[in-house]
Amino acid sequence: MALQDCVIAGYAETELRYKSGSEPFALGGVIMDSLLNSTGFSKSEIDGLIVTPSVSAAATAFWAQSFVEFLGLELNFVDTVDLGGCGAAGSVARAAAAIDAGLCSTVLVICSDTPTSRFDYVNYSYHEEWSDPVGLMGPPGSFGLLSKRYDHQYGLDPEALAKLAVTQRNHALLNDNACQKLRTPITREDYLNSRMIAEPIRLLDCVMFADGANGLLVTRRDIAKARKLDRFVVPIGYGEVTNVGGASSLVDITNAGHTSAGARAFAQAGLTPGDINSVHPYDDFLIAIMLQLEMLGFCKPGQGADFIRETNFAFDGDLPLNTGGGQISAGQAGLAGGGTNLVEAVRQLFGQGGPRQVKDTENALVTGIGWINYGRNWGSSVVLILAPDA
Amino acid sequence: MAKLNDTVDVSRGSFRELPFSHPFWEASREKRLLLQQCPRTGQFQFFPRPVSIATGRTDLEWREVDGRGEIYSYTLTHLGPGPFKGQDPYAVIIARLDAGVDIVSNLVHASTEDLCIGRRIRPYWMPLDDGRHLLLFEPDSEVPGK
Repeated sequence: MALQDCVIAGYAETELRYKSGSEPFALGGVIMDSLLNSTGFSKSEIDGLIVTPSVSAAATAFWAQSFVEFLGLELNFVDTVDLGGCGAAGSVARAAAAIDAGLCSTVLVICSDTPTSRFDYVNYSYHEEWSDPVGLMGPPGSFGLLSKRYDHQYGLDPEALAKLAVTQRNHALLNDNACQKLRTPITREDYLNSRMIAEPIRLLDCVMFADGANGLLVTRRDIAKARKLDRFVVPIGYGEVTNVGGASSLVDITNAGHTSAGARAFAQAGLTPGDINSVHPYDDFLIAIMLQLEMLGFCKPGQGADFIRETNFAFDGDLPLNTGGGQISAGQAGLAGGGTNLVEAVRQLFGQGGPRQVKDTENALVTGIGWINYGRNWGSSVVLILAPDA
Repeated sequence: MAKLNDTVDVSRGSFRELPFSHPFWEASREKRLLLQQCPRTGQFQFFPRPVSIATGRTDLEWREVDGRGEIYSYTLTHLGPGPFKGQDPYAVIIARLDAGVDIVSNLVHASTEDLCIGRRIRPYWMPLDDGRHLLLFEPDSEVPGK
């Protein structure tokens, strides 16, 4: 199977910083340097680059080519994966596909963004005509609409979300790369008492922007073996869906593409939710974590709160979840943020989790969420299952 | 019953139309609601697109509907962007029209009790500076299916 003939030979990440004053090329350079250092590859061995877009440079064309030039690379394959929070995991699948097609053999994946230092993002989509005139407040407004409908259909339990908030924050306290602004303990009451932004979305439901970068080096398995790397991680299952129900005018807003993307990823990996050792779901809002647990089959639709209540998600618990703090407690690196939980999963499978190292490292599941549709759930869903040297 | 904070007085400024939305906005000048309908499937769609989302074909037709429906979901916004700043909290709703489309809008001329899922609603056309109207919704006392 093509996906599994590729490996992640290394990972890299910068600290997440609020208003760092930096910009994406600078942090991207740090990521490449770190990957060359940790993997022993030389720059000339890299023949492919995949980047995610950056809020800091979203109005530019030629983003990937600029990156190639700024990093002094000469490449046979270059692409930008424009899938929002699905970009990082989506880059692994695309790197594997490009390698399998013989287009290149070693791909650098760089996700770098500095939204709190430079904001250059505009929408050319439905917003100006159809949601801005009625004051829909970006992602919190859309997740407010989603949450209220979920509450109507199943009942929304703030206590379950409070547990996720506290669990993730405890993990961020153990993560030196998490944004310092967020590295203070919170309690259940802090979550429940945080002010309403777009009811029923509270402040502590929401992710906060920070500047940061992350990346991976993806190469052919035989190259990794020949170099006698002592450790690498293999993508063993992947599923991706954009615009689920896109041909229909009426859909259930509480459903998204993770149901079918997850089913495909599990089938390819030969695993079921019960086999997963640690889970690293994309987290822009806490309810997104609960919805993904339901859609991926960890529990049934509407039973997320019960599952959360019964499960210990701490790094040393039954099902470790977002062990770096997730984006909500580590900071969201703009359009590079999808790489934060992905890199954490890879780090855990490398056994390099330090004070938050999980016990079981036979596999890890990572997801992405990208884009928000008009009056619907999120637009893109990816599910990636990883295993060490499978 | 407490009055629900309204957005009727919030200036919406000017905004551009995409070309395939133009019939909607022209009809809004007369407070008529036109929706795109796919002639092959009968499916209505909103927002306007260049093709039928059902078939992918460009042979869309515009049909007038009465715009009645119900609240599918809502959120009370507390940090309104742009001209909505200081007007909060205000209600953004998803209106599920009987014609079979969802429209993101505001609920106006309502009490706090009206802001609930399943509440019957009808169009309220809010005047824009350029003669067009913005499609908002208000509570509807008529029984559905008449």
